[in-house]
Amino acid sequence: MIAVEQVRKTFNGTHALDSFTLHVAKGELFGLVGPNGAGKTTLMKVLATLLPVDSGSAQIGGLNVNTQTREVKRLVGYMPDQPGVYQDMSVREFLEFFAAAFHIPRARQKAVVDRALARSGLADRSHDAVEQLSFGMKQRLVLAKTLLHDPKVLLLDEPATGLDPMARIELRAQLKQLQAEGITILISSHILSDLEDICTQIALIGAGRNATDSEGQSVIRLHVPQVPQVQLRTYEIELVGDSAPAARLAEAITGVRVVESGSGRMVVEIEGSDENVSAFLRALVTGGVNVLRFDPRTLGLEERYQRTFGDRR
Amino acid sequence: MNPMIRKELRQRMRERRGWILPSLYLVVLGAVVAFAYFLTTLDRGKAIVQGSTVGVVMFLTIAYAQLALLLLMAPIFSAGSITIEKEQKTMSALLTSLLTSEQIWWGKFVSSLLFVLLLLVTSLPVLSMAFAFGGIGPWEVFSATITTVIILAFMNSIGLFCSSAFRRSIHATAVSYATVVALGVVTAILFFVRLQLYESGVAHASTGSWESIPLDIRVPMYLNPFFFLTSSFAPPRQLYPAWTTCAGVYLGFGVLAVALTLRNLRRSRDV
Repeated sequence: MIAVEQVRKTFNGTHALDSFTLHVAKGELFGLVGPNGAGKTTLMKVLATLLPVDSGSAQIGGLNVNTQTREVKRLVGYMPDQPGVYQDMSVREFLEFFAAAFHIPRARQKAVVDRALARSGLADRSHDAVEQLSFGMKQRLVLAKTLLHDPKVLLLDEPATGLDPMARIELRAQLKQLQAEGITILISSHILSDLEDICTQIALIGAGRNATDSEGQSVIRLHVPQVPQVQLRTYEIELVGDSAPAARLAEAITGVRVVESGSGRMVVEIEGSDENVSAFLRALVTGGVNVLRFDPRTLGLEERYQRTFGDRR
Repeated sequence: MNPMIRKELRQRMRERRGWILPSLYLVVLGAVVAFAYFLTTLDRGKAIVQGSTVGVVMFLTIAYAQLALLLLMAPIFSAGSITIEKEQKTMSALLTSLLTSEQIWWGKFVSSLLFVLLLLVTSLPVLSMAFAFGGIGPWEVFSATITTVIILAFMNSIGLFCSSAFRRSIHATAVSYATVVALGVVTAILFFVRLQLYESGVAHASTGSWESIPLDIRVPMYLNPFFFLTSSFAPPRQLYPAWTTCAGVYLGFGVLAVALTLRNLRRSRDV
């Protein structure tokens, strides 16, 4: 749905995007993560037709964002990092104006605005002035505006910034709902736990380029089942007593490598399927090792982010 | 109807200045007219003041005062209208909607022009007082009104250009006012200084008609809005060359300002 190939964008000699590549499939809720100044907002603006690229190509739904801007605008809903509102309008007037700006026929405008108000939970505030809304409500209003023309792709640049925890929970639920409706969503955020909760995949961006984490991945798959037949998995084991006998026992088992050992805990890498893991655990227990805890160790998004960008600050 | 026009008019009429400025404008215009009437009819010994003289004086006073006031007000409405979208971060929402740059410009232009035209219309009762005294025909009123509208449309397009070129309303408004001063005052000073130098030259006699003044000395005045208004008081057959030249210059620069504004709007996507 979104195809960015080797895109380069320069501002006054600085590469905001430098041969950046990204592919987002239809229906995905795709996260974009990187430090400040990494190029996230520039990429969002490029995709929203607000910035032309210097070289490379960016397409949404097969349409070139540089040359087919009008068609792309019909397809895309864009929410900038600092969305503005017309404070002196009422909530309904604000939505009616943008419904007209998106050329929604006058006969349909009322129904479209009513739906947007219901969707955003602002139906009972429709006659209030926008300036009377809280920050979270304004964000909801802007998201409602972004959805007025039924876009197939949503570009959300840091939509959760400044929201209180409750508003963030509501936003996450709304985004999951929109994804379930088939909308492709590209979202950038610094709130990694939010992204980890809702995104299907996350791309790393640093200094305008595709960044790779400590595992060599530039795109992290999160909520897509991925169980290959043969794989290397890491487990953290908590033991009662000395870990040395357990480590010796583990080293003797084929396909198992002890990564760390000491003070009642051990980290091992096990090669193979679930059966191999199960057999290893059985071997430990029958070998007289008292296992308190046996957990798969996966790197969280926050840990991966820290390892990727931590030393670049 | 262009949704931008509806939105702009709605927002403008809700602003406090939406009613303060017209009120202030009428008070100032009324005071100027009353002062002109007082001066004209002041007892000058035995001389009897003709009604037509009062009518002409009042008409000219209103026409020039009205133009001066509206020139001062035009930047208030036009120079901030695009920068406000940048300041309140709504520009990207407009540019990612299906509104074209032309529609955005037209919406801003029409709404700001309509507001100054509203002021022009509200002064019609004051202007009609001049009719009561005579000496003024429909042609003079018509040509002066059309000329004022052209000047205001031009100033609006300049104000919108400034608004598209700057990020802050205060900067755009300041440059718009500088343009008003340059056109209304600097051109006149330039013209009179150069004319004085020309006439004081040994080889030259005093200039009789407008056409006898060398073109390079006359040129700045074709940009002067008060000269443009003055040239509109000529009978229809004498509008050429002064009025038509002024109209051409205003139209040319106005179109240039529109083209540059549209270019800036397309480039201002990085907001």
